[in-house]
Amino acid sequence: MNPKEYKYTPEHEWICPESKGKGKVGLADYAQSQLGDIVFLDLSAPGTQVKQGKKIGEVESVKAVSDIFAPVSGQVLEVNQTVIDEPGLVNKDPYGAGWLLRLELSKAPELDALMDSDEYDKLIVQLSEEESEQTED
Amino acid sequence: MMELLKKTPLNEVHRELRARMADFAGWQLPVWYTSILEEHRAVRSGAGIFDVSDMGRVWITGRKATAFLDRLLTKRADRLQIGSSQLCLLCLEDGGILDDLLVYRMGTDQYLIVWNAGHIEQKLGWLQRWAGSDPDIVIQDKSADTVMVAVQGPAVCQLRNLKGVCHLHRFGHTRARIEDVEVVAARTGYTGEDGFEIIGDAANALRLWESFMKQGLKPCGLGARDSLRLEAGMLLYEQDMDKSTNPFETGLGWLVEMDNGDFIGKSALLGIKRQGVKRKLIGFRMTGQGIARSGYKIVRCGQEVGQVTSGGYAPTLNVNIGFGHVPIELATIGTDIEIMIRNKPVAAKVVNRQFYKRGAQNEPQRI
Repeated sequence: MNPKEYKYTPEHEWICPESKGKGKVGLADYAQSQLGDIVFLDLSAPGTQVKQGKKIGEVESVKAVSDIFAPVSGQVLEVNQTVIDEPGLVNKDPYGAGWLLRLELSKAPELDALMDSDEYDKLIVQLSEEESEQTED
Repeated sequence: MMELLKKTPLNEVHRELRARMADFAGWQLPVWYTSILEEHRAVRSGAGIFDVSDMGRVWITGRKATAFLDRLLTKRADRLQIGSSQLCLLCLEDGGILDDLLVYRMGTDQYLIVWNAGHIEQKLGWLQRWAGSDPDIVIQDKSADTVMVAVQGPAVCQLRNLKGVCHLHRFGHTRARIEDVEVVAARTGYTGEDGFEIIGDAANALRLWESFMKQGLKPCGLGARDSLRLEAGMLLYEQDMDKSTNPFETGLGWLVEMDNGDFIGKSALLGIKRQGVKRKLIGFRMTGQGIARSGYKIVRCGQEVGQVTSGGYAPTLNVNIGFGHVPIELATIGTDIEIMIRNKPVAAKVVNRQFYKRGAQNEPQRI
């Protein structure tokens, strides 16, 4: 399930707030299950200034290409090299080893506007229902 | 409104297996069941089963069936042995490709055509137009009444229910019984592996499918179908070729027999061959970081020189590969090109189009 301590965006990114205004960013389980096997990641380099809701990278699965958006504004501190080398980690462990970047937040209050895990769980239930209705046709 | 998608006789099975479904050429088909990569690897290392009922199956019979096909196809049907099949092309008068297909000779005047899912009405119309009202040419599209599965992979002949057809040579076919289901089984496929394509009555679809599932065969979807064929250097109609491309620039000249009497498109193709082609479909391997996709531009020194027709990740080779059209002078193996990926040129190299070869050294490599 989606970790309690994380915050989520409607585009299925997560951020795990750390101490001193930093946070780890990744893709939610729902995103990886929709994309299927992830085979390539292109992420903004350390030092890049990012704005909430703006693109910070791309993820490619065997079939699809998708943008990754910054859940909050700030600066890229670190890119997870392990996941660049082995993008399948996003599928295997989206909330752990499959994290993507670490950010230094420039506007901490932006975090409050994101969904908490309860709100995000509801969104996923809703999306899954819509999806199963579609395939019933 | 959403167009109503056609469903194969195995549609329910796919849903029960909780496959991810998608629209392909008007059909609702499974893209993957568990994972495209897993399914791809199962076919390269063991065996997998695909529902390929979207492919069209048309029987051509009658006293003039052979002459009719010789007129329409780029390879002579009259040379095809009963019990064998061959790949060939259906060309338009101007030499453009209307489809690539397999023709099976079932008897002296009996043929079965297996062609792509797209443009069925147009292709049937084309056949009917040339058949006219001749009672000696009978065209029957039995796609809706039949099911077709592909069982592919190096381990296919270890499957109990295929023992009876493992004597077939490549492209050979026979009538057979699989789990008491009457089928036509052919040693053909679209994955670059050994395998069979099996056609039976739609009413027996489930029994046929289950007889493979019982043996633990992995169900594989469209995603793996695409990655397997790409890796094996096989072209996909509509993406890598269509009515605006001719067989020679597409690298399919070997499917055109110029000593074939007077087939449709022959005179145009003779002219094209004489003049030489100006562009060619190449294979390329990404040497920079990125995945090329269908429709991306191919550039050289900032100039657009062509387009990617198919592209993706090659799971067996662990590299990113693709096909694309480029001017003939850039089609030499080893030529450096670039693919525009999200407005950035990424380096690639022209390589042999058959990226993966069964039985050869296909070492995974890191780019």
